[in-house]
Amino acid sequence: MKIADRQSQFGNMNRGVHRFALLLAGATFFLIIAGALVTSHDAGLATSDWPLSNGQFFPKMVGNLFWEHGHRMVATTVGFLTVCFTVYLYWEQICNWLYRRGLIRSAPVYRGEPRRWVRRLGAIALGTVIAQGLLGGLTVKLNLPLVVSAAHATLAQLFFCTTVSLAVFTSRSWLKDQPTMEEQGSLAVRYVCIAAAATIFLQLIIGATLRHSATWDQPLPTDLLLTHIAGAIAVTVLLGTTAVLILRRHGGETFLTRPAKLALSLLAVQLFLGIAAYITRVASPNDPQPLNPMVGITVAHVACGALVFATTIILTLRTFKVLRANAASFEFATAERKLKLEL
Amino acid sequence: MFMKQTKVLLILTIVLSLLALASACGPKTPSGPDGGGTPAPNAKKFAPKGNEGSISGAVAFTGTPPAPKKIATDADPACGQKNPNLSTEDNLVTNGKLGNVLVYIKEGTLADGTKIGEWTFDTPSTTLTLDQNGCHYKPHVSAVMVSQKLTITNSDPTQHNIHFTPKNNPDWNQSQPNGAAPLSHSFARSEILVPVKCNQHPWMKAYVAVLKHPFAAVSAEDGSFSIKGVPPGAYTVVAWHEGGATGTEKTMQVTVPASGSATADFAFGDAATASGNPSLQMMPALEFPMLSRH
Repeated sequence: MKIADRQSQFGNMNRGVHRFALLLAGATFFLIIAGALVTSHDAGLATSDWPLSNGQFFPKMVGNLFWEHGHRMVATTVGFLTVCFTVYLYWEQICNWLYRRGLIRSAPVYRGEPRRWVRRLGAIALGTVIAQGLLGGLTVKLNLPLVVSAAHATLAQLFFCTTVSLAVFTSRSWLKDQPTMEEQGSLAVRYVCIAAAATIFLQLIIGATLRHSATWDQPLPTDLLLTHIAGAIAVTVLLGTTAVLILRRHGGETFLTRPAKLALSLLAVQLFLGIAAYITRVASPNDPQPLNPMVGITVAHVACGALVFATTIILTLRTFKVLRANAASFEFATAERKLKLEL
Repeated sequence: MFMKQTKVLLILTIVLSLLALASACGPKTPSGPDGGGTPAPNAKKFAPKGNEGSISGAVAFTGTPPAPKKIATDADPACGQKNPNLSTEDNLVTNGKLGNVLVYIKEGTLADGTKIGEWTFDTPSTTLTLDQNGCHYKPHVSAVMVSQKLTITNSDPTQHNIHFTPKNNPDWNQSQPNGAAPLSHSFARSEILVPVKCNQHPWMKAYVAVLKHPFAAVSAEDGSFSIKGVPPGAYTVVAWHEGGATGTEKTMQVTVPASGSATADFAFGDAATASGNPSLQMMPALEFPMLSRH
């Protein structure tokens, strides 16, 4: 089967691109776990130099250097994958550019990614991962200032969200013609989804700031902790509302109900992990820290938070793909516009 | 339509995150029992008159001390090989006496009516050595004067990472592989106390008090301490013992006679309540670190 035929098997789907996007998203998720392990072990400054570790490309991986240098290795791999993925997306453009200059003899057979906006999103992912690497270096060189460390953790979630979006946009279910539906009721699901995703993102920023505000030998800042709890309540309300609306209004649409159910399940796990993370942190303050239960559960809390965010992003994108403003609101908006023009 | 809304969402989230992160920026607030490190504008240089006395005493631990807990050193086998019985050293109790307690003059009035803060004192030419030996710091608690030289050595067959985490002084973090030359450091401002940690081995911690005067001592294993060369006067003496986030303080008023000695005995532990000021707070006063830190 020719490449072009394979690409057209599911509309414009390119399986290679989609699989690469999945690989990149998976590697990024693993990188988030590796980063969380660095924070939980207070290993961010296990070496004072960057990008080398103790002046070496591959130092002896003992003590906390295992976590910090391990994180750098995983990050380098993700960076390399992102470069390759971006080249993959722009392959046709790159080959054409080389062909026009006589650097290669034939035009490309492989088309790359045909949609310009997807290619641009890939380029944004590349820019984000470069910025993230520099931010990681900066936080080491500046001895982990709160603002830079929290920004590093936040950008990691944004990058993960970008890679997950790329996987969604290149997937078969996205490229397949999906029947569009009208929004039902006065509360548009699409905008509730956006509100839920934005609240989760803010909650991730608060969580990152809380984690970087105090290592295990210091008490957690009470107000920030309370803010994080309030954020958890807000996320629960918004994501719960989103899921209930989707299940009630579009219960037969697995394209929407699957991510909604998954997001809700992950949220339940995340709330449990959050409580467990706090309990394990304050349970044994006089024991030599960090204790494995605290590290394991806190890292799982970070990872699950990323998954809740990613699932909500998928849900939001899908609602925008298949849901349209209902006719009544459309007519109302048109009439309002006409009235304004007349006035 | 969809792309436009996505762009709006992206811009909104970026703006919100930048606003939240920007709020973390703020001036550092100097703190500490003896204030900042800059001497008073009209500070006078102290010259010994020959009638100086001393403050000595012992630090007791009442009640049953928590047993030291063994530290798992699996992460770095070199630590376990050199120091197989590595354990926590928060409470160094021997026969009811407590070691590693910092005792220092917080404030006071000399016999001539001047405050101790009005004087400046010569920085000792001696160097304090902080050794990383057996994957723990020796000494565990120490005191230096502002600008006094501190030498950090690594006697272990593994790499360490020395990290001072002060509030009034700049953060300082240096890697020190095994066999590396000693590192030097000093503090420009006074601070009670500067925590020291090793990000390589998370159980390693020590405390260094940085004072504007030389009147401080650390209790030995038998709990005894002695502060010498103290000018006659009435002083507030503080004993500080680690534990929790910021340790526990006990204060005492002492009067040092000319060419004489004053006694200051302290007690920590479950039954010791007199003049105690536990500063450990599991739920501290309301504060927003995003608005106050860095």
